[in-house]
Amino acid sequence: FSGAGGGNDIQWCFSQVKGAVDDDVAEADIISTVEFNHSGELLATGDKGGRVVIFQQEQENKTQSHSRGEYNVYSTFQSHEPEFDYLKSLEIEEKINKIRWLPQKNAAQFLLSTNDKTIKLWKISERDKRPEGYNLKEEDGRYRDPTTVTTLRVPVFRPMDLMVEASPRRIFANAHTYHINSISINSDYETYLSADDLRINLWHLEITDRSFNIVDIKPANMEELTEVITAAEFHPNSCSTFVYSSSKGTIRLCDMRASALCDRHSKLFEEPEDPSNRSFFSEIISSISDVKFSHSGRYMMTRDYLSVKIWDLNMENRPVETYQVHEYLRSKLCSLYENDCIFDKFECCWNGSDRQVEFLSLCTSDLSNIVMTGSYNNFFRMFDRNTKRDITLEASRENNKPRTVLKPRKVCASGKRKKDEISVDSLDFNKKILHTAWHPKENIIAVATTNNLYIFQDKMN
Amino acid sequence: MLGKGGKRKFDEHEDGLEGKVVSPTDGPSKVSYTLQRQTIFNISLMKLYNHRPLTEPSLQKTVLINNMLRRIQEELKQEGSLRPMFVAASQPADPLSDNFREAQPAFSHLASPPLLPTDLVSTMPLESCLTPASLLEDDTFCTSPAVQHDGPTKPPPPALQPVKDSFSSALDEIEELCPAPTSAEGVAAESAADDSKGQPSESNIHKPEGLPESRTAESKLMDPLPGNFEITASTGFLTDLTLDDILFADIDTSMYDFDPCTSATGAASKMAPVSADELLKTLAPYSSQPVTPNQPFKMDLTELDHIMEVLVGS
Repeated sequence: FSGAGGGNDIQWCFSQVKGAVDDDVAEADIISTVEFNHSGELLATGDKGGRVVIFQQEQENKTQSHSRGEYNVYSTFQSHEPEFDYLKSLEIEEKINKIRWLPQKNAAQFLLSTNDKTIKLWKISERDKRPEGYNLKEEDGRYRDPTTVTTLRVPVFRPMDLMVEASPRRIFANAHTYHINSISINSDYETYLSADDLRINLWHLEITDRSFNIVDIKPANMEELTEVITAAEFHPNSCSTFVYSSSKGTIRLCDMRASALCDRHSKLFEEPEDPSNRSFFSEIISSISDVKFSHSGRYMMTRDYLSVKIWDLNMENRPVETYQVHEYLRSKLCSLYENDCIFDKFECCWNGSDRQVEFLSLCTSDLSNIVMTGSYNNFFRMFDRNTKRDITLEASRENNKPRTVLKPRKVCASGKRKKDEISVDSLDFNKKILHTAWHPKENIIAVATTNNLYIFQDKMN
Repeated sequence: MLGKGGKRKFDEHEDGLEGKVVSPTDGPSKVSYTLQRQTIFNISLMKLYNHRPLTEPSLQKTVLINNMLRRIQEELKQEGSLRPMFVAASQPADPLSDNFREAQPAFSHLASPPLLPTDLVSTMPLESCLTPASLLEDDTFCTSPAVQHDGPTKPPPPALQPVKDSFSSALDEIEELCPAPTSAEGVAAESAADDSKGQPSESNIHKPEGLPESRTAESKLMDPLPGNFEITASTGFLTDLTLDDILFADIDTSMYDFDPCTSATGAASKMAPVSADELLKTLAPYSSQPVTPNQPFKMDLTELDHIMEVLVGS
């Protein structure tokens, strides 16, 4: 924003793109999660091959004030490996479903990464000095013949090329029968939750050999199963509150102080179905694919197949705002069901909190006023809650001139197609943007296409 | 700009099928509603039973598809009980025969030759009335080819026939030893099915015979499916079946759980993980080319032939 209070619209410009150029996408390179750390200096991606790649923002060059620092590869490591479940004779995918950063407490960085079954705590640390001058060892590590040692010296630290090491510090395994879809770190920074299709477990970051089950919706008779958990998140401020969403479009807010097993919700958020939009696919498109609290925790945002909804935690019977992401797909649901696109899980995210705005509007308004989410054809959408304006942008290598403002895109639903509009039938449904992230403090966004990561920033004057 | 002439047929079809509210009570759009419902039902079944990933299928997806099928089945049951003289453009009230036909053609021989005309008869209305979803809308992104819908209606490849016959005769012998299971619900569903069809009478005669075995086979077929976990083992509309333990208790049906008919259509050519692995173990001594367990592979018919011989022989 330029100026306080979100006056002008942000003008987004291409900044960088990471990943292979060819159209032939290797399955392992498909990006499955994107997450900025708490300072925004680090940007992590997880892929289908079980790897985590962390990018680090360059320190801002004071002479080049027209652009913020670029993101360059900082560390790459194999987080998860494919496993085999011998009991069921099935593979356990190594795909990274979610990454969540811990707030930084010391020189090292910590993140949680999870696949379908196992969560791992990784420590990423830098090493830029090493000790030299051992008495008993040569520089290459071989032991010296003791008889050749005639003097003693104190080893000293000498600078070396920066080395970034990632090491797994905790492995939280064997707690989930079903596929993990969410992890969320509590505001106490000591515990976190992991949610699979039917259960939510509470962990302590230090303890790996046990977890507490806090939600269990598995019916006694699996034949009666009609609803699964799709996402879960801790409240940003209240360490005993969390929410979880379901495949039936409901969100339940639970308080861990109420009982050990939070099967009875404290609040149930559900919007009654609009009878005029009823179809065979009503249930499927109501399934919530992502839920995110706003910065203050007063609101939460949910993403279902066609829309983004903002809920006020004080009002359970309907959302306060609804934004249509790609309503033109409503008439194509049968085809989208057939080709499985209707099951795509789009995520959503809030804007970061602007430092200037933060001070001025701390008491009066929620800092979360823009929402971003992805769509097909490598389009992604942003909705401004204050101005009620929305924009569609495209992540494509054709727009890769830095500092050139991205051109808004428009999809023509029916009728005469205007120039520069793209018709619904021309949309490429294999090019989907499921994962997006917004820098926590600045107007920098990371948008993941199938196997590329795009970084856009606002045009600084 | 399209005049009113333009794509009218498609458009009307389109309007009736997608998005807009089509109440089941409307006259002319009732047919398209039924058509859409049938299409969605078939698609849902194919998704559940033809998809054999090497990893566990998504529980969320399975649950949503199951809910869809249940809802449609509920509707059909209600319609079946309320309007027995309902003239269907398709054959909505017989999901089980669709099941039977699509999910395990390996057992289609179970009902002796008299069932074959039924097979054809039951598929004919499907072919004539049902338009594959890819053609229902004027869109280009429908990735599943029309052949997917035609798949089940194709006769099994000739190369398999002789093998199946010997197998079928073996099973027929076993069948003769056991009474064909029926249930009250099963009979009711059948009569609803029969009533709802304006079919030639021979199909009515043969269906009751063929269906019990098929349902039994099918329900038992569900049980050993790995990774389909509990939910697809009994998906609601199969719970009224009785399991014939005598018939199938000792036979490991997971080996037979593949679909040679749709193997040509590409997407459905992956086999159930257990059967693939087990087959590979049996194949290993016979096969000249090394195959790794987790590799999806397309089997050509000669290999399939060979496997069938091995299985039947052992």
